[in-house]
Amino acid sequence: MAKILTCISIQDGKVRRSSLEVLTRCRQLAAAGGHTLEAAIVDADAAAHLDTVKAYGPQTIYTVSHPVFRRHLNTPVLAALTAVIEHARPDVVAFASTEAVKDVLGALAVRVGAAALPDVSSFELVDGGVEALRPVMAAKMLARTEARAPRVLVSVRSGSYTAEEAPAGAAVEAIPFTFDEASLRQTLREVVTAAGGAVDLSEARVVVAAGRGVKDEAGKQLVERLAGVLGAAIGASRAVVESGLFPATAQIGQTGKVVSPDLYVAVGISGAIQHVAGMQNSRVIVAINKDPDAPIFKYATYGIVGDLYKILPVLAEELERVKA
Amino acid sequence: MIKFCVCIKQVPDVSAPVHTGRMVLNAYDASAVEEALVLTERYGGEIDLVLIGPASAAETIRKALAMGADRATHLVIGDDERPDSMAVAKMLADYLANKDYDVIATGKQAQDTDAGLTGSMLAERLGLPYASNAVGLAYEAETRQLVVTRQGDAGQEIIALPMPCLVTCSNDMNDPRIPTLKGIMGAKRKPIDTREVAVPAEGLPVTKVLAFEPVPEREPGQRLEGEPEEVARLLCKKLAEEARVL
Repeated sequence: MAKILTCISIQDGKVRRSSLEVLTRCRQLAAAGGHTLEAAIVDADAAAHLDTVKAYGPQTIYTVSHPVFRRHLNTPVLAALTAVIEHARPDVVAFASTEAVKDVLGALAVRVGAAALPDVSSFELVDGGVEALRPVMAAKMLARTEARAPRVLVSVRSGSYTAEEAPAGAAVEAIPFTFDEASLRQTLREVVTAAGGAVDLSEARVVVAAGRGVKDEAGKQLVERLAGVLGAAIGASRAVVESGLFPATAQIGQTGKVVSPDLYVAVGISGAIQHVAGMQNSRVIVAINKDPDAPIFKYATYGIVGDLYKILPVLAEELERVKA
Repeated sequence: MIKFCVCIKQVPDVSAPVHTGRMVLNAYDASAVEEALVLTERYGGEIDLVLIGPASAAETIRKALAMGADRATHLVIGDDERPDSMAVAKMLADYLANKDYDVIATGKQAQDTDAGLTGSMLAERLGLPYASNAVGLAYEAETRQLVVTRQGDAGQEIIALPMPCLVTCSNDMNDPRIPTLKGIMGAKRKPIDTREVAVPAEGLPVTKVLAFEPVPEREPGQRLEGEPEEVARLLCKKLAEEARVL
């Protein structure tokens, strides 16, 4: 019997859906193998998220609360996660693969003497460790990778599993945590957030993404209108981020964010492999592109060959009519 | 004056079909080299490189030297060795321990494994403050701090690190320069310290790739054709009734 610990990610005061997906997966593994399921919340106000996490069925929830977590800095996060792991002594620790987790996963693995399987698309418990599928080579291939070690850290791509509630009366244990701010060697000076980003990209159920075909402010407005009608987050390819039309936070791809919404609308995106690496797990993909040979059509559930400047306005109107 | 050490890796070219076997300098590492060049050109300093890889990876070292780095160390492992991130970080830490660099830079991940662990593993082993996923670097001479703009989940975080420190670089921060002919010729005369190293066999938790599998193919999609109004109507109908995402 093993102990599985899911670390919950909090962003903008909310539990991230991707964490609940991972917690659901861990619950399934725990139920199937008779393992223990626990969760940990590291946040300035960890107790505020207990109800949300309890609904997904962990037996114990560890909380670490400290105001220092309001600023994203890896040093206190590493210290807190180390404290939880040393206290709970889990065999497997699972995370959602967020930027904040990517920031600390390697250092944490060294600190707690664990093997790490980052950014997996699926994982299983096997005798003496974990086996996982990892998209590699810009998601051209899957690497079946194993970590046979007494302790394994695994981070899971968003959208790999579906979050399903199964409420249970979890025990709650606050882990004492002191942090000497004077020991901090790094300083967070500022967080620059993209203006008007109403929906968080990596958590969004619908994403409208713009590519090189969106050439100007008028095109950007068409994309924004379509996203508004669909209640979608706005993404972008590297090309339009570099052109300055969309912020870097919108970039989807091997370098940028990995998204896995139910609906992905690729507007004027050709489908370079680095971009596809970040969106190919979307359930339904709509591609709108002038070039009938654009590689994005290989991935599209529905492909429309045409001029986005003509199609987007009528599509937004039609959607408004359907949704009304 | 900034003394940089940039850790680089030779990787298969992910833009080329897999079977060609074309090997290149990891794109994220190339951005780290470029950023080190920009900062040392402005503030003075020097750039050392270190690469772990088989003897054939020397060509990648020459490429990074041709961009403008000053010298390199090649830690040679066997052709068939595939050390995981933990082993690579251990080998790099053993090499870098007691060396006197202001900034150790790496790519944020290798474009073949996309793991992204080695940088923070190395920082932890060396006890250095670090920032990952940098999309901008600046140097503050008066405080001797490296100011890193990193891409976080909710926005860009601007973090100041005292030197010595470690940073992992995204390839969004610059366009790495293409070596000039003069740079290529000059690189032939730059020193490469080549030494054989053993991949640590014991004492580390190990991950192992058992097999590579194809990504499951998506079901073939449908092309919707006609005038914009007609296509819009058809798409909405299919999204609502067939795909059930509206």
